Amino acid sequence: MICDELREAYELHALGLLEDPERAEIEAHLRRGCETCTAGVRRAAALNTQMLALAPDVRPSPKLRRKVLASVGARESRWAWMTGWPAAFAAMLIAVVYLGVQDRRKAGELAEARRFVEASATELTQMRAALALLNEPETRHVVFGQGQPQPPKGRVFVHGRRGVLLLASNLPPLPRGKTYELWTIPKGGAPRPAGLFQSDARGNALYLSPGPVDVTTLSAIAVSVEPEAGSSAPTTTPLIVAALTD
Amino acid sequence: MLLAFLFALLSEGDRELAARLQRRDPQAMADLYDRYGRLAYSLIFRIVKDAAVAEDLVQESFLRVWNRVQGFDPERGALGPWVLAVARNRAIDYLRSVDGRMAQSAVELEANEHPSMFTDLEREVLNRDRARHLQHAFERLNPHQRLVIELAYYEGLSQREMAERIKQPLGTVKTWVRSALQVLREELRAAAV
Ligand SMILES: [Zn+2]
Repeated sequence: MICDELREAYELHALGLLEDPERAEIEAHLRRGCETCTAGVRRAAALNTQMLALAPDVRPSPKLRRKVLASVGARESRWAWMTGWPAAFAAMLIAVVYLGVQDRRKAGELAEARRFVEASATELTQMRAALALLNEPETRHVVFGQGQPQPPKGRVFVHGRRGVLLLASNLPPLPRGKTYELWTIPKGGAPRPAGLFQSDARGNALYLSPGPVDVTTLSAIAVSVEPEAGSSAPTTTPLIVAALTD
Repeated sequence: MLLAFLFALLSEGDRELAARLQRRDPQAMADLYDRYGRLAYSLIFRIVKDAAVAEDLVQESFLRVWNRVQGFDPERGALGPWVLAVARNRAIDYLRSVDGRMAQSAVELEANEHPSMFTDLEREVLNRDRARHLQHAFERLNPHQRLVIELAYYEGLSQREMAERIKQPLGTVKTWVRSALQVLREELRAAAV
């Protein structure tokens, strides 16, 4: 009975907005270890967290990171490793933290993607950006070319803010004067150019087309071979089409 | 050995990060900021609507988390939700100090950001798909309901303070709050299935 009355108040309680006598009442009740209400408070904390996370995404100035670290006496080490590869590599390993997603299978796939990034990225900044995208819990991903012996295989990762990351292997060597072009294809719309890239000698490619992308209307990612300067619409049959399904 | 170490780093979750914060690993703070700094900043900015103030408050929030992380239970605690609550409270405190509510406000934020408040939350609490559902539910609220929810979450007003602010009877405000939260709760339950 009392639990039924209190359940209405959990969110406000967790937000610190209950006034007495309700606050005193709910606290006394919780101290008695009521299981129903403890679970209710937990659900309320989850709802509150999600409500707070709805705040529109705003990018803080890059200086803020330095200030935050300075305020706890931690030195900013991230940028220092631009000076040398061995240090860079060590820091890279630390930078590759795995955000939030706990699912084992997904963890395995992500770890694989990260190894690919580490092996294929030609520049540190590119590697950092690619790993940052992989680290986002909301990044969606699609596998393409599975079970096909010849054509390119790989993965596409999409993040609304950070963009589209393509990891591909088995790409055929490009004819002279040609390049690969990435396309984002909105639902019911024409392909939009999303950048040019090359593959390495082994036929691997890592390409990040920086965001934002409208994830809700995106239906597929494609890659075609185009003249070196790029095209505004595909001029050859795409050799990769990765469909994003909900 | 190296591989195992690598893999551990690759698959680190909040639990390991919390444990490193407790060990005062200097890199842990950088990782915490990289994980939640932007979210905390976005939330604080939404509340205080001033970039310079928001930056100060983010700094304060992370310092507070750093100073209180020993009370956090890495096994059961939810780091992200805790950081967000701390960030919100700093921003609400700021609003209160600006409009002179600090002294007379009957409500106390401190107790509600103790890390123990964030134990055993489900792992996927900060999942984007869930957030999208909730966003839609929020948009479906009627204007009164939306108003009181914003006043609670982003202005830190108690129901009595809301009634004063918007010049409505307390009973009416309570009805709006109750019905709005019901809609949001139901959405959350439906999304969890
Ligand atoms: Zn109870």
